[in-house]
Amino acid sequence: MSDKAHTPLSSEIRATLPNVNVDDLLASIKYYVDEDYAHLWIKDQAVCLQCKDKPCMAFCPVAVYRVDKQGHTMVGYQACVECGSCRVGCPYHNIGWTLPRGGNGVAYKFG
Amino acid sequence: MPEKLMYDAIVVGAGPAGISAAIVLARGGLKVMLIERGRFAGAKNFFGGVLYTHALADVLPDYWDRKPPFERPVTEQGYWLMSPDGVVRIMHKSQHYQKEPADAYTALRSGFDSWFAQQAVSLGALLITKTTVVDAIRDEKGRVIGVRTDRPDGDIYAPIVIVSEGVNNLLTQKMGLMKADLPPRLIALSVKEYIGLPSKEIETRFNLSGAKEGLAIDIFGDATLGLPGTAFLYTDKQGISIGVGLLLEEFVQHRLKPYEVLARFKNHPVIKPYLAGGETLEYGAHLIPEFGYDRMPDLAADGVLVAGDAAGMVDALHREGTNLAMTAGRLAGETALAAHKQNDFSAGFLRAYRRDLESTFVLKDLKQYRRMTDFLDSTPHFMSTYVNYANEAALRYFSAHGLPKRDMEDNIVKMLFQRRSFFGVARDMLKLFQGMRG
Repeated sequence: MSDKAHTPLSSEIRATLPNVNVDDLLASIKYYVDEDYAHLWIKDQAVCLQCKDKPCMAFCPVAVYRVDKQGHTMVGYQACVECGSCRVGCPYHNIGWTLPRGGNGVAYKFG
Repeated sequence: MPEKLMYDAIVVGAGPAGISAAIVLARGGLKVMLIERGRFAGAKNFFGGVLYTHALADVLPDYWDRKPPFERPVTEQGYWLMSPDGVVRIMHKSQHYQKEPADAYTALRSGFDSWFAQQAVSLGALLITKTTVVDAIRDEKGRVIGVRTDRPDGDIYAPIVIVSEGVNNLLTQKMGLMKADLPPRLIALSVKEYIGLPSKEIETRFNLSGAKEGLAIDIFGDATLGLPGTAFLYTDKQGISIGVGLLLEEFVQHRLKPYEVLARFKNHPVIKPYLAGGETLEYGAHLIPEFGYDRMPDLAADGVLVAGDAAGMVDALHREGTNLAMTAGRLAGETALAAHKQNDFSAGFLRAYRRDLESTFVLKDLKQYRRMTDFLDSTPHFMSTYVNYANEAALRYFSAHGLPKRDMEDNIVKMLFQRRSFFGVARDMLKLFQGMRG
């Protein structure tokens, strides 16, 4: 297993990535939102404040994580599709991750 | 005190592994509870999509008469090696794929898994949906004797629990069967759109003769920005499943947004015409456990068996997973039946499950490809180097510019070594060979 950082993507390739309004994609997903229980949370906002890259803002496939004006990480758990990327991918393991309560969360129409 | 809820067996998670286990147990005459956290079986399940009938037939020999909701049979399949401006296609079409039932079908999981779960119910399993298992219940010796759910009075007891909870294997971890959580270099994140198109359009665009033909294509190279991963395009009845997956580590390291990578792929000049006029009916995401043979959790402990994604039963190279899960679920069910006959639910007895799996393709394939993910992770340049090279070589090979063919051939060889040294190529090929041979 290699632990070295990967060669950065060339700026030419990066420039070919289109801007996507993720909300258009979210509109296609069926959810049963549990208003009384947030199944995701930030364990310690101080850890996020010193995290420079904030990879969760990028890799979360439904953009659950956004930053507010104070630099705090906001968790829009309502959009979560329970994939688990943030559970595994946060470099500081700073995201509390549980399953939504039974019957709640994403309910794929097609899958 | 309410009376204890006692079952002969509990299955956690109604996916291909869990439903297969429940079918075997119910048919064996046991009282089995199949617990699913979604609103219905399949609500949480999401894949690219190809299902293999050999594993399904082993679980449910009369599956065809039970009218499974498949999309299209796979009658043509292969690889597309995609450069930024072109593609080299390696496709296989054959009359052998035309038989019915076919070996492989595209499918959508919401419909398929709920159908599959209904078959378990028809054989006597009790399916409980909208119920999340939050922990195991153990006796004073630490043996698993049941599960705790998030329902009031939600403790359920059974001498054997089959854990088929999927890739986010929190219960497996809580049971101490997996020592550490997975690093993001051993797990892939895949995103997919299901794009609605009329059948006729799909058949015209992909040159299919009707509803009984379909395509499954795995795509490498520019589709994943040349990074370790694959993209895919499968035809459904009235839609196209198109997606892209990369090792999660790549998204983290390069700060990539999965939906942007997918949008870029959909916009590729080779792909775009196929999707024109289609409507995105659903977007979704799922992790794929690619940690492989060497990092699997313990598959058996006192009172527990683990099957499917929860145990990392995925052969990413051949885009197989549901068939491994069905086979493992079936064998877990058979082991649980045998345990009931012997009245022995000890880890020692239940380890027969692992031995059975070792003799099937499930663990044989996982063992053979145990170094595949390491190969991808340690040669991140592989896809872009060789896929782009294949496209440029093809362009030279198929072009006539009045250049003598000997010079053209020399040019093609030189082009390779401009990209990578002789020893670099040798090292890459050796690593690939090791990854393939195990």
